[in-house]
Amino acid sequence: MARLQLKNVNKRWGSFVGVDNFDLDIADQEFLVLLGPSGCGKTTTMRMIAGLEEVSEGEIWLGDRMVNNLEPKDRDISMVFQSYGLYPNLTVYENIRFPLRVRLVPKEQHDEMVMRAARMVELEDFLDRRPAELSGGQRQRVALGRAIVRKPTVFLMDEPLSNLDAKLRVSTRAQIKNLQSKLKTTTVYVTHDQIEAMTLADRVVVMNKGRIQQVGTPTEIYDTPANVFVASFIGSPAMNLVQGRLEKGVFQGQGIRVIGLRADKSGNVTLGFRAEDAEIVKTDGNISAPIYSIELLGEASMVTWRLGGALVSVRANKGFRAEIEDVVQADIPADACHLFDTETGERL
Amino acid sequence: MPHKVFLSFLWPSLIVMILFIALPIVSVVYQSLHVEHEQIMIVGETCGPFGCTEEVSVDAEAMGKLREEKPAGRFNGLGTYFNESHLATDEIAEIFATSADFREFRNRVMNLPFYNALIFTVSYTLIVTPLVMLVGFIIAIVVNMVPRLFKGPVIFFSLLPMIVTPLIGSLVLFWMIDSRGVIGASLQVLFADPTLSLKASPTLTWVTLFTYGVWHSAPFAFVVFYAGLQTVPQDTMESAMVDGANRWERIRFVTIPHLMPLAIFVALMQLMDNFRVFEPIIGFAASASASSLSYLIFNDLRISNTPLFGSAAATSMLTIFGIIILLLPVLRQNWREFNRKS
Amino acid sequence: MSNPAEKRPLPLKALAISIVLIWIIIAAFPFLWTMWGSFKVEGDFFSRSDWMNAVTGPLTQEKHGSTFTMEGYEGAWIEREFYRAVINTAIVTVSVVAVSLTLGTLGGYALARSGYKYSFWLLMMALVFRAMPGVTLISGYMLPFFELNIWGYLPTAIIVLVAMNQPFTLWMLHSFFKSIPRDLDEAALVDGCSRFQAFRLAIIPVMWPGVITTGLFSFLTAYNDFAVTSMLLSEQNLTMIPQINSFLGSSQEEGKVMYAVAAVVSSIVPLFVFIMIFQRRLVSGLTAGAVKG
Ligand SMILES: Nc1ncnc2c1ncn2[C@@H]1O[C@H](COP(=O)(O)OP(=O)(O)O)[C@@H](O)[C@H]1O
Ligand SMILES: [Mg+2]
Repeated sequence: MARLQLKNVNKRWGSFVGVDNFDLDIADQEFLVLLGPSGCGKTTTMRMIAGLEEVSEGEIWLGDRMVNNLEPKDRDISMVFQSYGLYPNLTVYENIRFPLRVRLVPKEQHDEMVMRAARMVELEDFLDRRPAELSGGQRQRVALGRAIVRKPTVFLMDEPLSNLDAKLRVSTRAQIKNLQSKLKTTTVYVTHDQIEAMTLADRVVVMNKGRIQQVGTPTEIYDTPANVFVASFIGSPAMNLVQGRLEKGVFQGQGIRVIGLRADKSGNVTLGFRAEDAEIVKTDGNISAPIYSIELLGEASMVTWRLGGALVSVRANKGFRAEIEDVVQADIPADACHLFDTETGERL
Repeated sequence: MPHKVFLSFLWPSLIVMILFIALPIVSVVYQSLHVEHEQIMIVGETCGPFGCTEEVSVDAEAMGKLREEKPAGRFNGLGTYFNESHLATDEIAEIFATSADFREFRNRVMNLPFYNALIFTVSYTLIVTPLVMLVGFIIAIVVNMVPRLFKGPVIFFSLLPMIVTPLIGSLVLFWMIDSRGVIGASLQVLFADPTLSLKASPTLTWVTLFTYGVWHSAPFAFVVFYAGLQTVPQDTMESAMVDGANRWERIRFVTIPHLMPLAIFVALMQLMDNFRVFEPIIGFAASASASSLSYLIFNDLRISNTPLFGSAAATSMLTIFGIIILLLPVLRQNWREFNRKS
Repeated sequence: MSNPAEKRPLPLKALAISIVLIWIIIAAFPFLWTMWGSFKVEGDFFSRSDWMNAVTGPLTQEKHGSTFTMEGYEGAWIEREFYRAVINTAIVTVSVVAVSLTLGTLGGYALARSGYKYSFWLLMMALVFRAMPGVTLISGYMLPFFELNIWGYLPTAIIVLVAMNQPFTLWMLHSFFKSIPRDLDEAALVDGCSRFQAFRLAIIPVMWPGVITTGLFSFLTAYNDFAVTSMLLSEQNLTMIPQINSFLGSSQEEGKVMYAVAAVVSSIVPLFVFIMIFQRRLVSGLTAGAVKG
């Protein structure tokens, strides 16, 4: 168990930058989630930590060792791969035992360690099967079992749930959370699914195009997104973002006007608010425009306008009905609004 | 993977390829610039009962020594490339100047060994390749139509002409087209000409060789096209039917475009394979009427005691040059694709 | 089949079946004919009077008291010692396949996992060597081999065949290893293996389909080779194909063509068996190049 530090880590292929100046200090026992759209460099970052990819520049420290030049086997980590990487010719039991075998753990301890890991991932009944005879969820648990069979300093997990169906994903997610809190092993978890990130993480690192966008607890990231990218990436549905001008605390955009905002800044800004923070009203709304669509979600209805180029949605209660092209108004409380510089995308 | 680990896996392969591919190419280039030593003559006196006579003979001892010192022979520059058994520039110029008409020009050029071989090789490549693709395509289409039960055996028998090496395959046919063999005899009956022999005329020999080429390679095109037919997108096929396309239009607008990349692959492989034709010439004992670039090289090297290394190497270089011209469009296209991807 | 796209009018079906039958006859008849004929005497196989004699064998009956004779085979195998060539062929093919695959799996694996873009250059090299007639390289071998005194021996021919086949072998195996998810060996790496251990424990158990397919093509190159073996082997070390070629000259003169026929059939029969066992793999291997290249 150890602290994991990445000091200005870079990965380049020719002129293509895969990971750009990644700088992060991960505390002992922390559950850290790397979150970002596909292709943003999450896997690359994790593979550099594991030693599967060479670091172009920067240093990786595991505890008090600089591990840049260590082979994966000497880094004392374990990893769960996206497609699990199970050995198809070995049984579940042998798959879980594999790390013990190659690391020359004394033979007489194997059985006990394998059984303990199998119990934790609830695989006791399947030990004699081969991976081909298992369901997706069971294979995933074999991969987990193989990772926890010994006590590594760091767990790495690369989108371990992405190949499971929605229901299984929820239960396995809970299982992973539970395992980690029991084992107290520093964990780096990669996902592109913000709900996974929110539910699992002590801290979330949001990445885009190889760069860190924001580091913070799930609440921080949700409540105070550092820039337009994080704002649009976190939350479901995504935060509404409308471009316009801010003057003396008043935001004016096409079909939308919000007053009572901060008066110390002015210029071209992007206003953001979440669908659930706004409210449909009969009169005096901040938005007043013909609607573009209305979707019935069951527990609520989603009303959408087209303002300027952007689609803006607001949650209405489930009884609300309107026709497309009807003019509908919505109220947006000023304290639920986020302001971003339109040019840089940074939070004001 | 770090370079060190990479090399530790690859070095055996690399060494073999450097020693037996790269160096031999260097050796071919070197040899093509050299030619066999001139004979060293020696004047000796043989004395008999009627006095002594002077005699000129080859000095075997000196020759042996010279060969040992310089096994590749003496330096000849590009001489071999332009001599009468290769590019024959002087002869061509002279034929061009003295020939009365194109026919004569052609016939005299065809008598030059290199041009004879080049023309046969190119004709063989350009005629056999499209025929192979056509025949292979037709067989693939019809085999795809017959009941599933037959497909296994059809593929089994189809593979035979391709798998059996050209020398053996052509021998088998050669015995059959012999005037006493089953095909040769049948042809004589068919054309009511008891003297008909496929071996006699150069034209018939060429036709025989081309036919053999198609027979040998059609299975390859068939197998590839047949595999392609199994993956024709059913959605597109069905939407074409809904759109009202008839059987032929479906082949024309769905099947053929789908097989196009495979056709290019087959064409490429066939161009390469057909360009190196030479075993059938031996199998059909056809060297009197047909010769190919590879056959020329083989022939130079086969002369026992004194193989013509320089001559063979020069023909090899010219052949490689021909291959590069043949492949240039393909290499260029691949290069472009590679640059686009990275 | 109920799929309407597969429905065909009867005449079309009949036409298809007849074309297929004609093709089968064209493809297979020469081999079956020669196999049958190899058990006859020359006068029957090459009959001046009636080609049916090759089927019924009247002269064979007259000479040997049976319509079948092993004369050709005895002549070739025993009198002309064709068995030597068979043994040589066995040595050459087994060694070429073994060495090719050993070097090829190691190299192909490294290329597939290197992360650098070698694959383009590899493909180009494989292409150029596929295109280069084998004989052109052979003219480069002969003189140095004479000088080094390694001309004529089986190991020399074996290593040359391995080398000439290596770009293609590497290319095939490299594409095959690419299709094995790299998660598999990387899992082994983080589980505590070195690269070689990961290769041995995680990759070798799952690589056999690709290795076998590639091996089939190595086998065919070695078994069918004429150019290399006829040029680089001395008389007593010749393999079957060049041996048959050298039979031709002498036997034709002595009126012993049937020896050559018997030898030819002897060399074809193993291929029959070979295709029968590996038909599926051969077909998939032939098309693999088309899909990946
Ligand atoms: N070996 C490689 N060579 C070149 N580019 C690569 C390589 N591996 C990954 N990339 C690129 O790096 C970027 C980040 O990839 P990755 O880390 O896998 O993204 P993700 O966040 O989806 O896991 C992608 O654009 C990918 O195309
Ligand atoms: Mg990824």
